Amino acid sequence: MTKKPFWRQSGYGVGFMFGLTLLCAGLVTVVQESRRERIELNRRMKLETVVLRALGLRIPSAADAGVVHQLFENEVTSLEIEGRTVYSAGDADGLVAAGYAFGVSGPGFWGPVSAMVGVDRDLSRITSIEFYRHNETPGLGARITEPWFGQQFAGLALDRSSAGKYFTLTPPAPGKKAPELDAVTGATMTSKAVEAFVNRDLDFLETLRKHLKTAR
Amino acid sequence: MTPISPTTLFFAAIFTNNILLTNFLGLCPFVSLSKNPRSAAGLGAAVVLVMACTTVLNHLVYRHLLLPLHLEHFQYIVFIVMIAAFVQLVEMVVDRFFPVLYQTLGIFLPLITVNCAIFGASLFMVIREYTLMQAAAYGAGSGIGWLLAITMVGAIRDRVEKSGVLPKGLEGPGITLIITGILSLACIAFSGMIPVQ
Amino acid sequence: MPKTPPPSEIIRAGLWNENPLLRHTLGICSTLAVTNLLVNTLVMNLGLVFTMAMSCFTVSLLRQFTPDRLRMMVQTLVISTYVIIFDIAIKAHLPEVSEALGPYVGLIITNCIVMGRCEAFARSNPPLPALLDGLAAGGGFSLVLFAIAVVRELAGFGSLFGFRLLPDSFTPWTIMIMAPGAFFTLAVLVWIVRARSAESGTAKPGGRIA
Repeated sequence: MTKKPFWRQSGYGVGFMFGLTLLCAGLVTVVQESRRERIELNRRMKLETVVLRALGLRIPSAADAGVVHQLFENEVTSLEIEGRTVYSAGDADGLVAAGYAFGVSGPGFWGPVSAMVGVDRDLSRITSIEFYRHNETPGLGARITEPWFGQQFAGLALDRSSAGKYFTLTPPAPGKKAPELDAVTGATMTSKAVEAFVNRDLDFLETLRKHLKTAR
Repeated sequence: MTPISPTTLFFAAIFTNNILLTNFLGLCPFVSLSKNPRSAAGLGAAVVLVMACTTVLNHLVYRHLLLPLHLEHFQYIVFIVMIAAFVQLVEMVVDRFFPVLYQTLGIFLPLITVNCAIFGASLFMVIREYTLMQAAAYGAGSGIGWLLAITMVGAIRDRVEKSGVLPKGLEGPGITLIITGILSLACIAFSGMIPVQ
Repeated sequence: MPKTPPPSEIIRAGLWNENPLLRHTLGICSTLAVTNLLVNTLVMNLGLVFTMAMSCFTVSLLRQFTPDRLRMMVQTLVISTYVIIFDIAIKAHLPEVSEALGPYVGLIITNCIVMGRCEAFARSNPPLPALLDGLAAGGGFSLVLFAIAVVRELAGFGSLFGFRLLPDSFTPWTIMIMAPGAFFTLAVLVWIVRARSAESGTAKPGGRIA
């Protein structure tokens, strides 16, 4: 009886796969661990940049993660209100701040979209909005991250007098007035989705207002 | 706002957000196999089965194993291994209990492991944060959408090539891509009707 | 076992004669979707070439120890390991691009070309030629994608690498940004190449299946 060569035996196959899997998993883990800090840093810097911008604080151009973090630590206070994080600027206990910022998010057309909304100190107007996470098509839906789109929100009065909404997004046309803002041309679905979830999440203002009243 | 219902998602995945026509996924076997409508349908049926099941399986593994253990970076390996193992399992079961079905479906099964659409459906489900029911609906819908697209292109291509009017160099892959492009245009026209998110 | 072809032959085959995209229309799935912006295409190509070269090299190294019926599993495992490493690397060093590419980096794993080359070449050739073959086939593939991205970004945005080239009076062709634009551009490219090959008589029947 001839003995099978060792690589023909079934035990060898199982052992080989097991060894290779261990090797691959080990390699991935090593790479992941070596980059973990850096990835965390990127994530933190992105959030801090967005918050600072939404609060209207200037970030020096070419600032690295350290500078941004320092600025954030110095200027921004975070409050936890009903499971949401509210960032406030210019005051240590966050009660009489120069402005507030909080995250809004919801489904876009291709995936979740997140934005950071900045409001003024008496929560009557939006000061800025920064869209920072999305999976929309470049050149179409992704244009919500372009400056012009966010800038039209600046100064928007926070009342729901027109049809129960804070604002609407409609196709660009001459002579439009405040609660009607320009939608992104060619990205109707993204615009609709943004209108829906930002309006919905702005209702959080009521909670924030109540909280500030009792705390102040 | 209520999250999108699984039923809506099911139809959105078939028609308006067809994984092949709007996300380009699953094109490889598509171009070579759509030549023959019969084998196109066979492969499509296998894809529907595998995609519906693996999306659910991967959803369970991701939510209950990878997330609690903070091993999200392993998701690619885990997903592809799950798919490969599932395909192997289906192949064995079909071979053992349904020899007739194996005759028609069997040769397509190994091809499925490397079908981008199946893997892609699992990845999109993670990114869009679907619930289990939504993931199941999305997986099944995408599979059916893929089947629909490949049979349609297969049939159109068959007619066009038999007509013999194609210029030199356009036969084969060229015309398949153009047909797919036109179908994709049709798909985009409907994309506003039901959202996928 | 067939004899290993000389390096120049491998390079020529990968870049032109056997160009996976133009000759066999394989592996379009994961990559075509990101060809509407040059920057994204470039990073994606980098990932593809890296994964392909390294996977071919590793599969070839392991070729004598791999049991035959396990080779698909081994190849999948090797490829996905390299893809994950690339994914982590761009997450750490190019976070913006990583977000824009989204799931498409992961989809390199199921790109038929990578496995196709492992199966067709690396499995039966020594590591160094396999590495070269991976580089050449990946390079040939990247060139084509790059050409498509140039057409799509120029027509869809009027810019290249984000720099506006065409005057403001140019109306961008939105269709080029969306899926059909990619299908049509690739179709025309394949058409031109095939028509030329047919004239000069160098066309080879495509027999490779991945």
